[in-house]
Amino acid sequence: MKRYAFFPGCLIPARHPAMEFAIRSTLSKLEVEIVDLEGTSCCPDPIYFKSKDKESWLAVAARNLCLAEDLGLDIFTNCSGCTATLSETYHLLKDEEIRDRVNQRLARIGREYRGTSRVRHIATLVRDEVGYDAVKESVVRPLEGLKVAIHYGCHLLKPSRIMQVDNPDNPQVLERLVEAIGATPVRHANWYLCCGKACQNEDIPNKMMHDLLATVNDEEADLLGMICPTCFGQFDHGQMKIGKLYEEDFSTPPVYYFQLLAFAQGVPYDKLGFERQRFKPVALQRYEQAAAPA
Amino acid sequence: MSADNTDIVRVDFAFKRELAQKIEGNLANFCYQCGACVGDCPATRYSVAFNPREIMLKVLYGLEGELLGESSVLWECTNCYNCHERCPQEVKPVEVIISLKNMLADRGRAPAATDKVIRTFMTSGRTVPDNPAINKQRAKYGLAPLGPVPMEEIHALLEPLEDEGGGS
Repeated sequence: MKRYAFFPGCLIPARHPAMEFAIRSTLSKLEVEIVDLEGTSCCPDPIYFKSKDKESWLAVAARNLCLAEDLGLDIFTNCSGCTATLSETYHLLKDEEIRDRVNQRLARIGREYRGTSRVRHIATLVRDEVGYDAVKESVVRPLEGLKVAIHYGCHLLKPSRIMQVDNPDNPQVLERLVEAIGATPVRHANWYLCCGKACQNEDIPNKMMHDLLATVNDEEADLLGMICPTCFGQFDHGQMKIGKLYEEDFSTPPVYYFQLLAFAQGVPYDKLGFERQRFKPVALQRYEQAAAPA
Repeated sequence: MSADNTDIVRVDFAFKRELAQKIEGNLANFCYQCGACVGDCPATRYSVAFNPREIMLKVLYGLEGELLGESSVLWECTNCYNCHERCPQEVKPVEVIISLKNMLADRGRAPAATDKVIRTFMTSGRTVPDNPAINKQRAKYGLAPLGPVPMEEIHALLEPLEDEGGGS
C-alpha cells in the first residue's frame, strides 16, 4: 500500500467534512494509505495571507512541508488553494537565497526545510499513483448517462511550470476521472473562466460568475464536477446569489469529485452530506434506486 | 512629445528599490509590454480599470501614486495566474502585483477582508477557526476533531528577519 501525508487545509475539514469523509473512504478502496500530519496550520492561503506578506507566507508554508519531510513522505492536498501555496513554496525554495531566508526563520523553532516532500493535489495523485483503470475497477455502480459539466478552477493547473499537472489549455485529468466512474464529462464554453472568489471587488466576480453559470446552464448537465472547495462555495451559495441578482434560473448542483467517486463506489447518497448543499445532486438518486435489491 | 522634455516621465528609483526587496518584485524589469497578459485576463475582461500590461508599465516607471493609492486597482486581480501562464518573459505579472499588494499592506492599506483573514489566522492558525459545532459535524462523518495548531511556532515564524526594514 502506498502511503502519503494528508494536508487537509482549513476549508474542507471545517466547512465540508463530507468531502474529507469521501476522500478517506475512496482512497482506502484505492489502496492508498493516508498518514495524518500533526500540527498543520492554514497552508497559508495564497490570496489574503500572501498579499499581506509573501515572505511570512513562505515561512509558514515551509513549516507545513517540514511536517511531511519529518515523516519522509510526499504530500497530497484536497484544495486547489493549498495546492497552489505548497507547490509554489516547494518551487520557490529551490532558490538558495530564498530558502536560506526561510530557514533562518525556521531555525527559531528548531526546524529546517530540505525540499524532500513532493506536493500533489489528490486528483493528480489518483491519476499518477492509482490510475484511471483502478478507479474504474473500484466502481460498483457506474454512473452511466450522468452528464457532468467540468470546472477545473485556476490553481490546479496554473502556473503550469510550477504545478506540472496538465496542459492548462486542454486539460484531461478531470474528464478522465469522470469517465472512470462511468459518467460523461462535458466542457462548457466558459470552462476556462475563473470563479472570481479571489477578486477583492464585488462587481467583477458577479459578472464572471454569471457568464460561467450561463454556459454551464447551456449544457443542461446533471451536475458540475470540481475539485476545489473555494470554487464549490461560488457554485453553491454563489449560484443562488447570482440567480437572484440577474433573475435567471441557474440550478446545476456542484459536486466535489471525490464525493461523486464515493457514491459510485457504493457509499449511500444519504451519507455524503448532500443535504447541506443549496443545490442537491438529486440526479444521483436514480442510480441508488436501480442498484437497490428487489 | 514637446521639445522641452516636460512630457518625459521621471523614473522613481526609490519605489523600484523598495519593490525589488519583495520576493519576485523585480521581475517587471523584464517586461517588454507585449500585452500577452491582457488577452487572457478575466479582470481585464470585466473591469474598465484593470490592465496588467498598464500595471507593469507603471511599475517600470515607478508611478507609486497610481499603484499604491487608497483604493488601488490592484485588488481587482482575480489571482487566476493566466498572466503568469502567458508571459513570454516570465515576468509573472500576478506575482509583481502581489509584491505591490505587500507594499500596500506595509502602508496599512490592505482591504478589510484581508485584515480579517489575517486576524483569524493569527489567533487560530486557520482561516476557518476551530469550534465545537465544527467538531460535532465532523463526528457525524466519523472524523476526529480538528487538531491543535502550535501557535507559538507560527508566531515565531512571522517575525521578519532583522535586515528587513519596516515589514508588515
